Amino acid sequence: MTAKWSIPALVVAACVGYLIYSASGGTTEYYLTVGELRSHSGAGDVRVAGVVQTDVQKTDGGLHVTFTEKDATSSVPVDYTGTLPDIFKPGITVVAEGRLGTDGVFHATTLLAKCPSRFSTTPYTQ
Amino acid sequence: MILGYLGAGALLAALVMGGFSAVLSFWAGRQQNPIMVQVGRRAFYAATAMIVAAGGVLEWALLSHDFSLAYVTEHTDLSTSTALSAAGFYGGQEGSLLYWALVLGVLGSVSLVASASLGLRLAGYAAGLMAAILSFFLVVLVLVASPFDLLSITPPDGLGLNPILRDGGMLIHPPVILAGFASFAIPFCFASAALMAGRPDSAWIAHTRRFALIAWGLQTTGLVLGMWWAYHVLGWGGYWGWDPVENVALMPWLATTAYLHSSMVQETRGRLRAWNFGLVILAFLLVVFGTFIVRSGVVPSVHTFAISAIGPWFLAFLFICIVFSVVLLALRSSVLGGGAEPVAPVSREGAFVLQNLLLIAVVVVVLWGTVLPLVSGMLGQQRVVGAAYYERAAGPLFVVILALMAAGPLLPWRRAARMPSARALMWPGAAIVVVLAALLVAGVRSIPALIALPLVAAVAGTCFTQYARLGSGWARLPSMLRRRRRRYGAYLAHLGLAVLVAGIGASHFWQQEKDVTLAPGQQVTVAGYTLTYTGSEQRQLADHTELVALMRFGDSTLEPARATYSGLGGQSLTHVAISTTPVADVYVVLAGVTADGSASFSVFVNPLVSWIWAGGAIIIVGVLLGNIGERAPAVEAVRRRVPASVLT
Repeated sequence: MTAKWSIPALVVAACVGYLIYSASGGTTEYYLTVGELRSHSGAGDVRVAGVVQTDVQKTDGGLHVTFTEKDATSSVPVDYTGTLPDIFKPGITVVAEGRLGTDGVFHATTLLAKCPSRFSTTPYTQ
Repeated sequence: MILGYLGAGALLAALVMGGFSAVLSFWAGRQQNPIMVQVGRRAFYAATAMIVAAGGVLEWALLSHDFSLAYVTEHTDLSTSTALSAAGFYGGQEGSLLYWALVLGVLGSVSLVASASLGLRLAGYAAGLMAAILSFFLVVLVLVASPFDLLSITPPDGLGLNPILRDGGMLIHPPVILAGFASFAIPFCFASAALMAGRPDSAWIAHTRRFALIAWGLQTTGLVLGMWWAYHVLGWGGYWGWDPVENVALMPWLATTAYLHSSMVQETRGRLRAWNFGLVILAFLLVVFGTFIVRSGVVPSVHTFAISAIGPWFLAFLFICIVFSVVLLALRSSVLGGGAEPVAPVSREGAFVLQNLLLIAVVVVVLWGTVLPLVSGMLGQQRVVGAAYYERAAGPLFVVILALMAAGPLLPWRRAARMPSARALMWPGAAIVVVLAALLVAGVRSIPALIALPLVAAVAGTCFTQYARLGSGWARLPSMLRRRRRRYGAYLAHLGLAVLVAGIGASHFWQQEKDVTLAPGQQVTVAGYTLTYTGSEQRQLADHTELVALMRFGDSTLEPARATYSGLGGQSLTHVAISTTPVADVYVVLAGVTADGSASFSVFVNPLVSWIWAGGAIIIVGVLLGNIGERAPAVEAVRRRVPASVLT
C-alpha cells in the first residue's frame, strides 16, 4: 500500500464513519427493562424484554393479543397485532418493540420470542 | 456407558498428541530439523485419527440411543429419526465443538501433506500453529464441555430435539457453515507461519488457495442454506433479520471474499502482501469472535444463547489470537515492504483494492451494529440497532461494490492505458438502460431500487461479455475453458451473485403482506394473487397433531398449518405453505382458527425469492467448475532441496 492509496482509504473510512453515524442517528433503540420503561422519556421505539404472564387474551383469530409482560421487578400490559411467534405462550421470554402509550399500555409493533438455540438445551435433571 | 469412557479416552489421547505435535513442530521448525518436522506432522495426523475415533463413538452412541451419555439424552429421544439422531452430533454445544475439531483435523492434515515443499521452517510452524488451535479445542472438549459426560442414572428415554430443529435444514445448514468456519483456520496457520518464518512471498497463498476456496464455498453455502431454512421454517416471511447470530456468520464471509480477490493480486502481480496477511488474520479473528458471541450470550439476540462455561475460554482464545497476530505483524512489518511498482488506481488491481476496502467497510458497519449493545451497555443505557441501521449504513456500500463488480472485470491489469473499449462496455451499459427503463415504466420510483437493480443487471452483462469473448473462437473453446477455468468459474460465481442480489433486492423492495381473518369460502387478494379459504381440518401424525387450513390457489391447494407437540408441553409450531414460481412466492402463515371455523392468516407475496436460492447454486457451481481437478501450483524450487522421504 503506497501513500497514493491512503487517500482513497481515508475517503472510504470517512464515508463509513458518516454512514454509521447517520444511520444510527434515527435507528438505535433503547433496550430497556420493564422498570426502566416507566421512567424512560424520549421519542422513538424501544425494546423491552420480559416474561409473558398467564393473562394472555387472543382475539381476531389470534392476530390480536394482549398480555402482561413482567421482569424481575415490574410489569407492563402489552397490546400487539400481528402473527404471534410459534413458541409464544405464558412463561416464555419475549422482546417487544414499540412504545408506551399515554394509556399506560405498551403498544408493540414487533414481538420477538427468544428462540431456542441449538446450543441451549434444558439439562437433564434426575 | 462403555462408549462414554471410549470417547473420553480418545479425546484425551488426541489432546496429548495435539499438544506434543504443537511443541515439537515449533521446535523442529526453528531448528529446521527435517525428521522432527515430519514427526510433529505425523503427531498431528495421530491427533486427528483420535478425534475421528471420538466422533465415531459419539455417532454410535447417538444412533444406538445410549442414554447413559448426558449429551445423547439432552439432544435425542427414542422417537427421533435416524437422520436427526445422527445430526445430533453437531446439534449441541459439546458435539459442535467436536465437529469443529474434526473438520480442522481432517482438512488440516490434508493441508500438511506435502507442506514440507514450502520449506522446513514454514511447514514446522504451520503444523505447530494448527496443532495449537486443535489443542485449544481439545482442552475445552476435555475439561469444560465434554460430549462424553455420563449420567449417574441412565434414563429410559431422552429429552428430544426442539421441534423447530426437527427439519431437513438441520441436516445441512449447521455442518456446512461450521465446516466453513473451521476450515478457514488453515490459511490463517500458513499465513502466520510464513510471517514467522520470514517468508512473505506468495508460496503460502498458492499452497492454501484451495482451502481458502473450500472455506469460502462452505460459508457461502452455509449462509444461503441458513436463509433458506429461516424462510421455510420460521414463518415471518423473510430470510435475514440482522440478528447477531447472522451477523457473526456474515462478517467472516465478507473478509474471506475480500481475501479471495486480493490474494489474486499478490499471485499475479506480487502486490498487497501485508494486506493479504492482514485479511487472513482478520477473517480468522472474526470467526473466533463470532464463536465467542454465539456461545457466550453477551449481546441480546432473538436466539437464546447457552450461557455456558465455554464463553470465557473463547474470550481468552480470542485475546491470545489478537495479541499473537498484532505482535507478529508488527515484528515482521520490515519484510512486508510492497516492492517496486505502485498499484494504479484505474486498473484491475486498483478495483480489487477498492473492493477490499469496501468489503472491510461493510465488516466495520456490521461489527459496530453487533457490538453496540455491549459497548453502550458498558457506557450507560444499553442500545440496539435494527434492520434499518444496516440497510442505511451498509446499503450504499453494497451498491458501490456492485458497480465495481460490473466495471472491475473489464479493466486491464496494471495501468489502464488501454481503457476498456466501447464494445466491452456495450452489454453492461445496455443492461443498465434496459432495466432502468423497465423499472421506470413499471412505475418504480424508489431511488435505492432504481440504482441497485440496474447495477445488478450490469454485473450480469459484464459476465456475459466475458463469456461472449470466448464465443468468438468456437474451435478453441474447450481448450480456453480448460486453461482459464479459474477465471470462467469466477465469472459464473459473479453471475450467481448477481442473480442472488436480484432476488434479495426484489423481495426487499416489493414484498407485500396482508393479515386477514377469513370465514370458509371467503377469499383474499394480495398483489394480484387470489387465495380462497375452504375450511380447516385436524390431522394426527406420529409425534404431533396438525391443524391444517386449506387454501385454494389456482389449481392447487396450499396447506398452512399449526403443529402441536404434546410431548413438549404443548409447544406449537407453524408450518408455512409456500407456492413458488420464478416470479414470486406466495407465502401463507396460519395464525389460528376460531370456534366458528374462520381462520386468520398472514399472506406474503415475495417477488424473486427463488432467485436467491438459484443464485447460491450458481455460485457453488462456478466455484466447483473453476477449481476441481486443477493442478496444484508448482513450488518446485523448494521441493528439490528437500529429500523426498520427508515430504509426507
